[in-house]
Amino acid sequence: MTKEAHARKKAWRCNVCNDIHYGIKGPEICPTCGARNAFALIDHPEAMKVLIDRGERLDQEDQLLDVWQRFAKDKPFRLNPDEPFVRQLARGEIENQKNHGLKYCPCRMTTGDYEDDLDLICPCNFFIQPVYKETGECWCGLFVKR
Amino acid sequence: MADNDRLIFFWGRECPHCAKLHPTVTEASSELEKPITELEVWHSDENATLMRTYGDVLKKACGGSLGVPALYNERTQKALCGMRVTKEDILKWARE
Repeated sequence: MTKEAHARKKAWRCNVCNDIHYGIKGPEICPTCGARNAFALIDHPEAMKVLIDRGERLDQEDQLLDVWQRFAKDKPFRLNPDEPFVRQLARGEIENQKNHGLKYCPCRMTTGDYEDDLDLICPCNFFIQPVYKETGECWCGLFVKR
Repeated sequence: MADNDRLIFFWGRECPHCAKLHPTVTEASSELEKPITELEVWHSDENATLMRTYGDVLKKACGGSLGVPALYNERTQKALCGMRVTKEDILKWARE
């Protein structure tokens, strides 16, 4: 995503159930409560306060594998069936989150520009990568075409 | 004085492709007059910073973003990137 598009994103809050959405506009239908046209523009501090941290973390290998399986369900790609390979990537992402703050792909490298580096969080938008078009795998090989 | 004429292998400790390519790099390095310098980038700020200084060339070689495994020739300023690099590719890149 371009920096211009990132810059246009705002925080929105559903006035019925307090869902938070981050984007150029709020969803027409709230995905949680189904309310229509319920999202109002809010600011960053309010968004951060509305999000309740119950201490749940996705920082275990098995959790990531489950997230990736669910992400790939009914998609034209699947999780790489080589489980040891996938687990190594999971360990790398957990390590990167611990050391660098986000689950950056261990087969990429950050530039130091925070906004640019958002594109390196796994799962990335691998459909646009030349390597996915050429080989049927994302850059790190976590997802492969069915 | 720093050597600015190195053949560099940038790799990441948790990158499985780097681990797979590592023996190929080692083998190619043993056939070169000047060995390849191996620099791990995810756990060394110094190495990450160096990799970023070659970012423009490396991004092109890696399909748009910085990636590992990647090789950078400081003399020719040319790069190779990705798991599909062969020993022959490395020798050619090093001797060019």
